[in-house]
Amino acid sequence: MSASGRMSCASCHDQAFGHGSPFDTPVAMGGPNLDQPGVRNPPALGYLRFNTSFGFAADGTPTGGFFWDGRAATLQDQAREPFLNPIEMANPDTAAVVAKLAAAPYAAQFRQVFGDAILNTPDVAFDRMTFALQRYQQEDSDFAAFSSKYDAFLAGRATLTAQELNGLALFNRGDKGNCAGCHVSTKPANAPGPLFTDFTYDNLGVPRNMAIPANADSSYWDGGLCGSKRPDLATRTDLCGAFKVPSLRNVALRKHFFHNGAFSSLEDVVRFYVRRDTDPQLWYPVDAQGNVTSYNDLPAALRGNVNTTEVPYNRRPGEQPALSDSEVADLVAFLRTLSDGYTP
Amino acid sequence: MNQKLAAVPGALALATLALCAPAQAQSADAELAEQVRQLRAELQQVRQELDAMKKQAAPVASTPAAPSWSGSPAPAVVPAPAAAPVAAVAPQANAGLSLFGYGELSYSRPTHDTANSVANVGRAVLGWGYRFNERTRMAAELEIENAIASSSDSGEAAIEQMYVEHDLNSNLTAKAGLFLMPAGILNESHEPTRYFGVFRNQVETAIIPTTWRELGVGLQGTTDQGLRWNTGIVTGFDLTKWDPTSSDGRDSPLGSIHQEGQLAKARTLATYLALNYSGIPGFNIGGSVYYGGAGQKQTGFAAPDATVTLAEAHARWQPGRWDLSALAARGRFSGVDALNATFAGQPTPVPDRFGGWYAQAAYKVWSAGEQALWPFARYERLNTAEGYSGLPQGLAPTAQPDTRTVTIGANYYLHPQVVLKADYMRFFDDSSRDRFNLGVGFEF
Repeated sequence: MSASGRMSCASCHDQAFGHGSPFDTPVAMGGPNLDQPGVRNPPALGYLRFNTSFGFAADGTPTGGFFWDGRAATLQDQAREPFLNPIEMANPDTAAVVAKLAAAPYAAQFRQVFGDAILNTPDVAFDRMTFALQRYQQEDSDFAAFSSKYDAFLAGRATLTAQELNGLALFNRGDKGNCAGCHVSTKPANAPGPLFTDFTYDNLGVPRNMAIPANADSSYWDGGLCGSKRPDLATRTDLCGAFKVPSLRNVALRKHFFHNGAFSSLEDVVRFYVRRDTDPQLWYPVDAQGNVTSYNDLPAALRGNVNTTEVPYNRRPGEQPALSDSEVADLVAFLRTLSDGYTP
Repeated sequence: MNQKLAAVPGALALATLALCAPAQAQSADAELAEQVRQLRAELQQVRQELDAMKKQAAPVASTPAAPSWSGSPAPAVVPAPAAAPVAAVAPQANAGLSLFGYGELSYSRPTHDTANSVANVGRAVLGWGYRFNERTRMAAELEIENAIASSSDSGEAAIEQMYVEHDLNSNLTAKAGLFLMPAGILNESHEPTRYFGVFRNQVETAIIPTTWRELGVGLQGTTDQGLRWNTGIVTGFDLTKWDPTSSDGRDSPLGSIHQEGQLAKARTLATYLALNYSGIPGFNIGGSVYYGGAGQKQTGFAAPDATVTLAEAHARWQPGRWDLSALAARGRFSGVDALNATFAGQPTPVPDRFGGWYAQAAYKVWSAGEQALWPFARYERLNTAEGYSGLPQGLAPTAQPDTRTVTIGANYYLHPQVVLKADYMRFFDDSSRDRFNLGVGFEF
């Protein structure tokens, strides 16, 4: 379905990697010749059926929406963009996409569902195609299996090891990991199990990832909610640098973490959370005088947007991190129980 | 529950209330004993007359038992035997229909945090009953809490009771529907004129989840010696509603998982037994035990076999102008180990045990006609989470100390059915909760 003929949805959203990126690089390569680098880590698609469109909660918290910046209102809207994005599947228009659909071996099935003449009107066919992609993600249990060890534990069919249980406690405790503050570990009303996200946004001050080619340009920065893809929020500079809180289900299967794929180790991710401000030199560039440029993926004027008030970020250099190294290991052990496909 | 809805016919209810009333004057024991003997004789006579009336299948000419200071203090000496309409059955249309209700409004001002002062229409309740014949009746209550119930408000509209009751004989009554559990002093008799203080006491709110009602069937019997017993099979609690991230379970463990007859999970039912002895005028002693499933055999739930046990004992004595009462209640969750493990690190796991007690003394310092003034004092001690199971050491929240409270105030009755209240609550372990309260209540 791509201009290159070598890229599908599953190319970037591989089930083996939690419907996330299988690539070794933090961003995927797309375009007609698969030589165009993306600018963000492909988000995982699992458990998005429980998400809603973007909006602001009563207290002003931005919530919902699809993509890292929430710009798509539905899974169908999300499905439209990659087909036409020049650095992804790079089709010139919907007609080109539908032409490939007409030549696909499942074209007859598509006509059977949507009518014999459906492929004669590309815009309508494209709409139905993306609708079908949405229904696939909403109905196929692969996208919301709830089959992890943690699910079995919640159902009383499995027990966690002492390390995993301690990791769960650290995950939940408001004075330690406080992960559940955003990655909620209890069941919401609209899902059969915990989703490990509240679909809100946070500004974590993730380090600039120089492995993303676009970042070679020092004037380039990714604004997230106030970025170029969100013209509706362009004036909300307080939201610059905020990205969607992803579900942590299948997080241990992913190869890269955060919107810019700045980390490729789950242990490092957790260590970053708890040592970001106690040991900033571990994550950010240090100049010859020993000065650290924290939150260096944001313009200096916007670095005040970074969340520094909630646990575990509410520390200063030299203070004890909220989690020790052994506690980080325990927490990661718990996160590994969130991978689907567990058999007791 | 409305006191006027006595299970026994109205004439008998009047006699019972009279029996329970303290003497108006500070009479000597001998004088009181003589009154008791007279009242017992009157009661027996009334019962005989009632039996005769029933045999003749004649209409029961009964009227609601209007409280009066010459008969009984407004706070009931003995919990009403049962809720049932007793409107007069007369030849005219709708004679079997009765309306009743109550309302309570409050103002609460934390003394160390006055910015959080709150004024509230706590409850507005309208009840109706219908007496189909002298043996069969129904009653229902519609309640609105916090003035407004809508999707964007914190109010609540609820059917608090709805049941049918049938007298099997003069001493045995069966009921079916949504009805109040016979637990404690307040649950069946919770109107604002019937308790001291602006708010219901904490033990009978946090430990016994007043107003606690369940769907099911029940039996109630009485003996001539003054013993009342209740038993039945009812719906129970739903532990799947437990929210370990919220403080609700710490505020009231059972109140946070009650079902209130709303699509109640009913795979596992519960039983209860209550005994109350009121054979000595002005004195009541009783207790109750409740036991039932709370996991409701739910699949995909870590505690499908969890159970709840709640037991309480209470006593109330009204010698002369005094009104003395005490209550102790204890609850227990069993079979929650695996569930609590899933709550590791959360602030509110399911407690193994919870309980509390209180002692209260009130004294009628003044009365004139329908008006009376009752200062009171109450000491309470309770703990909604005395321990947790299923969580290794270090993973359970730190046990909290008992909540110890003294409440001092007064009920001023403009009429036995209309009360103005004021009190001050002193929390020994958390002075930030100290507060001054004002209230208005009525019932009809």
